[in-house]
Amino acid sequence: MKVIDIIKDANANLLRNKLRTFLTILAIFIGSFAIVSTSAIQAGVNSFIDDQVNSYGGEGYLAIVNKDSMDALEGLTNAMGGGNSGPIEYDPDKKQDGMTPINEEQIEKLKKIDGIDGDSIVKQKSLDITYVTSKETDKKYLMGAEALPPGNIKVATINGHSLDLKADEYQLLLEHTYVKALGYDDQNIVDKKIKIVVKDQFTNEEKTFEARVVDVIAPGVVSMSMSYFNNKLADDIYEENTKYYPPEYKDMTAAVAANYDYNKYSAEEIKDKLEDIGLSAMTIDDIVGSIKSFFDVILTVFKIFGFIALIAAAIGIINTLFMAVQERTREIGLDKALGMSSGKVFASFTIEAISLGFWGSVFGIVVSIIIGNIVNVAFHAEGAFLESFPTFNLVIYTIQDVITVTLLIMFIAFLAGTLPARRAAHKNPIDSLRYE
Amino acid sequence: MSKKPLISTRNLRKSYGRRSAAFEALKGINLDIYEGESVAIIGKSGSGKSTLMHLLALLDKPTEGTIKLEGKNTSQFRQHKLNDIRNKKFGFVFQSFFMNSNDTVLNNVILPLKIAGVGFRERRRRALEALRVVDLADKAKNKANDLSGGQKQRVCIARAIVNDPKVIFADEPTGNLDSGTGERIIKLLFGLNERKGITLIIVTHDQDLANMCDRQIHIADGEVVEEGIKQELYDENFDGDNDNDGMREKNTIKRIDVEED
Repeated sequence: MKVIDIIKDANANLLRNKLRTFLTILAIFIGSFAIVSTSAIQAGVNSFIDDQVNSYGGEGYLAIVNKDSMDALEGLTNAMGGGNSGPIEYDPDKKQDGMTPINEEQIEKLKKIDGIDGDSIVKQKSLDITYVTSKETDKKYLMGAEALPPGNIKVATINGHSLDLKADEYQLLLEHTYVKALGYDDQNIVDKKIKIVVKDQFTNEEKTFEARVVDVIAPGVVSMSMSYFNNKLADDIYEENTKYYPPEYKDMTAAVAANYDYNKYSAEEIKDKLEDIGLSAMTIDDIVGSIKSFFDVILTVFKIFGFIALIAAAIGIINTLFMAVQERTREIGLDKALGMSSGKVFASFTIEAISLGFWGSVFGIVVSIIIGNIVNVAFHAEGAFLESFPTFNLVIYTIQDVITVTLLIMFIAFLAGTLPARRAAHKNPIDSLRYE
Repeated sequence: MSKKPLISTRNLRKSYGRRSAAFEALKGINLDIYEGESVAIIGKSGSGKSTLMHLLALLDKPTEGTIKLEGKNTSQFRQHKLNDIRNKKFGFVFQSFFMNSNDTVLNNVILPLKIAGVGFRERRRRALEALRVVDLADKAKNKANDLSGGQKQRVCIARAIVNDPKVIFADEPTGNLDSGTGERIIKLLFGLNERKGITLIIVTHDQDLANMCDRQIHIADGEVVEEGIKQELYDENFDGDNDNDGMREKNTIKRIDVEED
C-alpha cells in the first residue's frame, strides 16, 4: 500500500465521526494555541528588550562611573524614598553635589584590566545644550543628549533609520517627546533640520548647530530621555562647550563606557576588578535584566499550562483512536485478510493520530496569529496601554517557532497514537471478521 | 487430474486452548485441491469446516501438519509473503459481505489493489472491469450501503476477482440471500470457475450448493468423513469395477447423484 493512500485514508477516516474528531482536535488546539501564543509573546518581549539592550551598546556594555559617584547616586535614590540602607551621612571631605570625575590614572588602569577591550573605552562627554527649536515653533526647549555609546549600536527607531557615525554632517536621533513639541509627527520629521543652540557660560555668545533628524528614538522601558548625536555633532558641541576651559580640564569626564569580554568573564568578576581601582560599573543586565527575567517567569508558567493541555489532548487522542479501533475491528480484519501487513495497519492509525496533531496545531497557530495581531493593534490604539511603545510588538511569530510547535505536537500525537495502533496491528483477521 | 495439486495438506491439525482445556478443531486432514477445480467443504456448524478454510486461505497457522501451495511448504513463508499471496493469488467472498458500507462500490472493489500498491488509474480501470463482470458497472459511484443483499455479494465477488486470483474462497456465499438471488451468485461463481479457470473453494452447509461442485469434502468433528465427486466426473474417471482406483486409502468416495439429494 502506498504511503499517499495511507495518508489519504487516515484523513478520510477522521471525517467519519466528525464530532469526535472535532472535539479531539479542539483539545490539541488549546495546547497548541497556548504554546504558540506564549512563544510569540516571549519573542515579542525579547525583541523589544534586545532593542533596549542594543540602544545601550549591546551585551558586554559597561557604564562606568567613579565609586563615589555610584554611592552618591544610591544616596540620591534612597533620599527619594526606598532603598534598604537609609540616607547616607554627610561627609565634609566628600563632594556630594555631583559626580566625581574619573582621572586619567584610573583610565590607564582600566585599559590594562584583562577582559576589558581597551579600544572600546569612550569618555562620556556631557554635552551642555542651551535649547533646541525648529522652524515650526517659536518655543525653545532644553535637551539632554550624548554621543552614541560604543559597541553594537542599534537604537530602536520608529522608522528604522540609523545614524551614520562617521558622516561629515550633523545628524541626530531625536528623543520621541520632542517630535510634537517641535511641530512635527513621527514620520514627517525625518530629514528635517532642527536648531541646536549652545550658549557659552562665560561669554553668553550663542552658536547654532543645524542638525538633520535621521529618525525618532522609539520609546522604551529603559529610555533615559536622551537624544543621540553622531560623532561630528557631539564633538563640535563639546568643543564649543569647552573652548575657554584650561586644556587639562577639557578631557575630564565623570563617566566612561567600555565593553568587556562577556564570553570569558562574568559581570561580577569584571565589577570586582573595577572595584579594585575605585570604579563602579553597571551592565546591561543591571539595567534590563530584571524586566526580562520577570517576563520569562510568567511566560514559562503559561508554557507549562500549554504542555499540561497537550498531555490532556494526548489522552484524548488515545481515547478517540481506541474507539476507532474498536469500531473498525471488522474493517481491520478485512484489510488484513486481503493482505495488508500489520506494519501498514499500525502506520494507518499512527498517521491518523499525527493528522489529528497536525490539524490541532495548525488551527491553534492560525487562531493565535489572528488573535495576536488583533490584540497587538488594539493595545497600540489611542489610550491603550502600549500606545506609547509603538515599536513594541506584543507578538512575534517566527517560522521557526511555528514549525517547532507543529512538529512537537505531531510527535506527541504520534506517541499517543502508538498505543491504539499497536492494538489494531495485533488484531487477528479471523477474530476481527467474526466480531459483531 | 494427473497434475500436481495446487493446494495440498497433510495431517493438518488445529487445536485451541492449552493442555487439558485444549479443543481439537481439526484432527489430521489430508487434502489435495487441483487447479481449476470447484470444491465444496461441507459440514454442520462446529464441524471445523471454517477452520479448515482459514488454514487453506493462509489466514491462520496449523498446530501441526503442512499446507503446500503449488508444491511449496507455506510454513516456511514469512508473514510478508503470506500477506502477498492472500493479496495477489486469493480472492475472498464472505457470508456477511464485509464491505465498507459508507464507501462507494468502486472503492470497495479497489481495496485489494490499493493494498497491493497499484497506481490510481490502473486500479480504477481494473475495478470497473471487475464490476462489469458482475454486471454492476453502473453502480460504481453508489454507496455500498444503498445496494440490495444480492448486489452487495456481487460487489464482493468483483472485489474477489479484481486481483485476478488463482483461488476464490467463498464462505457461505449464499447464506444471507434468498434462494433466487443465491442462485444468481452461484451462477456467477461457477461461471468464473469455468471461464477463467479460477479454483473455487466453497464452505457451506447447503447440500444443494455442494452438489454443484466438482468435488465435496464432508467434514464432521474435525475429520473428513466422506469425499465425493460429481456424477459426470465419476463416470469419466472411474470405470465402476475398480472401487479404489486412484483413491487415497483413508477416504471413501461415494457416487453422488445430483437428482437423488
